[in-house]
Amino acid sequence: MAHYRVQQWSTFARTWWLFDARWQCPWISARTIIPYLQGTKKPIYHPLSDTGDHVIVINTRLIAMKNERWITFKHIHDSRYRPKGVIEKRAWQIHAEEPTKIFEKAVYYSMDKNLLRRNLMARLHLFPDESVPEDLLKNVSDCIRQPMLAPKRLDEYTEEDRRNFPKLFDWPKDFVLDDGFRTKKQIEFQEP
Amino acid sequence: MSGRAIPSDFVKSVLQNGAGRYVCQLQRLTFKFCKSSGGSRGTRDYIEKHLIDFSRENPGTAVYIQPRRHHTARVVAEFLNGNTVVKNINCLNPDDIMKWLEHLRTRSGIEIVRLRKSQHTDSPSIQGVWTPWTNKDSSMNISDYTDKKLLEMKRDELTATEKLLELAKNLREKDMKKTT
Repeated sequence: MAHYRVQQWSTFARTWWLFDARWQCPWISARTIIPYLQGTKKPIYHPLSDTGDHVIVINTRLIAMKNERWITFKHIHDSRYRPKGVIEKRAWQIHAEEPTKIFEKAVYYSMDKNLLRRNLMARLHLFPDESVPEDLLKNVSDCIRQPMLAPKRLDEYTEEDRRNFPKLFDWPKDFVLDDGFRTKKQIEFQEP
Repeated sequence: MSGRAIPSDFVKSVLQNGAGRYVCQLQRLTFKFCKSSGGSRGTRDYIEKHLIDFSRENPGTAVYIQPRRHHTARVVAEFLNGNTVVKNINCLNPDDIMKWLEHLRTRSGIEIVRLRKSQHTDSPSIQGVWTPWTNKDSSMNISDYTDKKLLEMKRDELTATEKLLELAKNLREKDMKKTT
């Protein structure tokens, strides 16, 4: 019957989701995005049927990592060519070269390791900032909420807010809060 | 053998048997056994001791006994849908034969195959099939998805900083009242 065919089209229609990666941990965001890519959120999900959705991720340049993760975390690529086949790169280094790479790898590694992985990754569209092509953006029909609360930076507070912030005591005027001392390594990493 | 060569089917029942009343699908049982050989001994014992009881309990099932000289003992079950199942009961004791007859009696007669799914329905959903837009707020049609409020994390509680600011604000208001 003709209308059953149309029902099938609407049931299996792919939704386009929008996700904002600003101030988000890439690993935690990956965990929230993957169910949408796989389609496990849908009641019609079946491992043999292709029910995954598209996800557009914006602001991947503005992702956040905790502690010293930008410095300590490294991606290793081994081409099996022995003299210099192993390439190690720190997270900050990769991010400076390609601002979507860290997020892409985080999603790729968090997914189930099977043959579907590449096809699911093809439905993930990553953009370093908010500029998304018009033809992609017009497909978007829903959005995924951020898994983490974005903190408010100090420069986002007004001068008045800063002055009125509750304080138990005032520092003495000659008290030194930051002596400016840095180790050699810290300088090396902070100012590449 | 590959998965495609193995016969498979969806879950079935004969005309929703048992939804109202139950009709036993086993119509005829034919015992074929030898009167002298050792392999048929269990069958002979079963026929002597238990077959009359079985027949009395299941009046809808016709039971035939056919002695066959020097043949292996077997029971042929014929079902209402026309299917025939032959079960070899050679060298089985009466207890085991009883269990196999119980198996045949409770069967629907449909062939035993690999099931593709554990559930099946003949009537499609009354509510309508699920689509990506069912149970969605209709305000989504006109909302702008680049809006920050839609993308932000949903939270019920205030953050520690916000709680602190609120406390300070209340305290300041109290102080103001005292001074005035």
